[in-house]
Amino acid sequence: MAEFWSSLVAFFERLSGQFPIVFQALNSGFLQTLKLFAVTLLGAIPLGLIIAFGSMSRFAPLKGLTRFVVWIVRGSPLMIQLLIVYYFPGMVLKNNWWGSGETGRFLAASFAFIINYACYFSEIYRSGIQAVPVGQQEAGQVLGLTGGQIFFRVKLLQMIKHIVPPMTNEIITLVKDTSLARIIALQEVIWAGQAFMKGRSGISGELWPLFFTAVYYLVFSGLLTVLFSRLEKKLSYFRT
Amino acid sequence: MAYFEVNGVSKSFGSNRVLRGVDFSMEKGEVVSIIGSSGSGKTTLLRCITQLEQADEGRILVEGEPVFDAAETKRLSKEEKRRRQLNFGLVFQQFNLFPQYSVLDNLMLAPRLRAKKEPDFSKRREELLAEIKEKARAILEQVGLTEKAKQYPCELSGGQQQRVAIARALMLSPKILCFDEPTSALDPELTGEVLQVLKNLAKEHITMMIVTHEMKFAREVSDKVVFMADGVIAEEGDPETLFQNPRSPRLKAFLANTTL
Repeated sequence: MAEFWSSLVAFFERLSGQFPIVFQALNSGFLQTLKLFAVTLLGAIPLGLIIAFGSMSRFAPLKGLTRFVVWIVRGSPLMIQLLIVYYFPGMVLKNNWWGSGETGRFLAASFAFIINYACYFSEIYRSGIQAVPVGQQEAGQVLGLTGGQIFFRVKLLQMIKHIVPPMTNEIITLVKDTSLARIIALQEVIWAGQAFMKGRSGISGELWPLFFTAVYYLVFSGLLTVLFSRLEKKLSYFRT
Repeated sequence: MAYFEVNGVSKSFGSNRVLRGVDFSMEKGEVVSIIGSSGSGKTTLLRCITQLEQADEGRILVEGEPVFDAAETKRLSKEEKRRRQLNFGLVFQQFNLFPQYSVLDNLMLAPRLRAKKEPDFSKRREELLAEIKEKARAILEQVGLTEKAKQYPCELSGGQQQRVAIARALMLSPKILCFDEPTSALDPELTGEVLQVLKNLAKEHITMMIVTHEMKFAREVSDKVVFMADGVIAEEGDPETLFQNPRSPRLKAFLANTTL
């Protein structure tokens, strides 16, 4: 028992010595994680809407093509998509248009994440659009509203109410999915934590920094959960 | 010349010919009930009149002015179509209130958006919006829902929601107010309050066209009853004659199956 306590004390002594260095490294890694998260949302939220309209198009070839792409993207692992996006230009086309270094990796990762999440979002949007009863459109029409007025004044808020819960889910998944960018060596928080195993800033063979990265994800997804449940509550004053 | 006229209106969905040349007219201030079994084309006729559907053939006139002509609709601008559509109001079976707006805002949404098209809107903004609010309050009082103005549709009973829907349709002062089975989605104990509102409107000589299954109501309130079968008007007349002495075997059979 005494042995257990002394080794535990020794571990925490070591940890407290290493913590400032590790904390700083993980913070800068998490900044990269946040950047990828933000860029993905900024790109995928509008792109998803375009894809949603494509998959509901009355023009059959466009609808077919869109649904085919959505199937490919949703049906294959994001990790493989990351690898293909990053390595295909350089290895197959002999022209690595992403550029070298961290910037190149970030561009490629952003591209893959935006496409992947836009496809998921598009299906959520589609369900939201189709959930608004046709009677809402017709009521707007007989009251002499224009198409734009019906979309923005009547349907949009009802759609948003429908899609907030599934979007929350998807966005929290995105927080954790950003870690997949590790596969192309993007220097996000997992990469930063793992570096202390191999050796960095005089620390090597340490596993705890990697474990500690989970705290970052927990705190951030906790914040998002609070934020989105507030939004959901705000929209709960009406029922569709 | 009748106040409102429907001439030779036909409509098909694919190979299903739902309306087969409907001719019909009514005078200002009249209440006309349209009865008939399901599938007879009543609702489709109402949807063609209110232009939620485009009839394939025929013309519709209000005060002698064409508001729909199957031969020329493609050439009309969207705004012109909307302007013509506003000759009619429509109250739906499922109410179709806008759930995110309060009762008062449901009433005011369309008039406010229409008011923006007034040439002097920017100058008289306050005045116009105040007029709309005043009108909304007056109409709410008319349907007995003054105290519900700030509530949302989900907080109201079905009967109250339908009364709001009627009030919303009245806001744009349509020349002809159409009802598509206004009490069919209601619990039986709630139909009375909606029918009472319709009776009050009839007393004020609002021109109304009501598709209904409420035979007792049709008989009490209507100036004229129209019986539809297989996409045409099979019989029409004043309610007493029509219900007491139906001529066509179709109407006899229909009335025999309906409880008065």
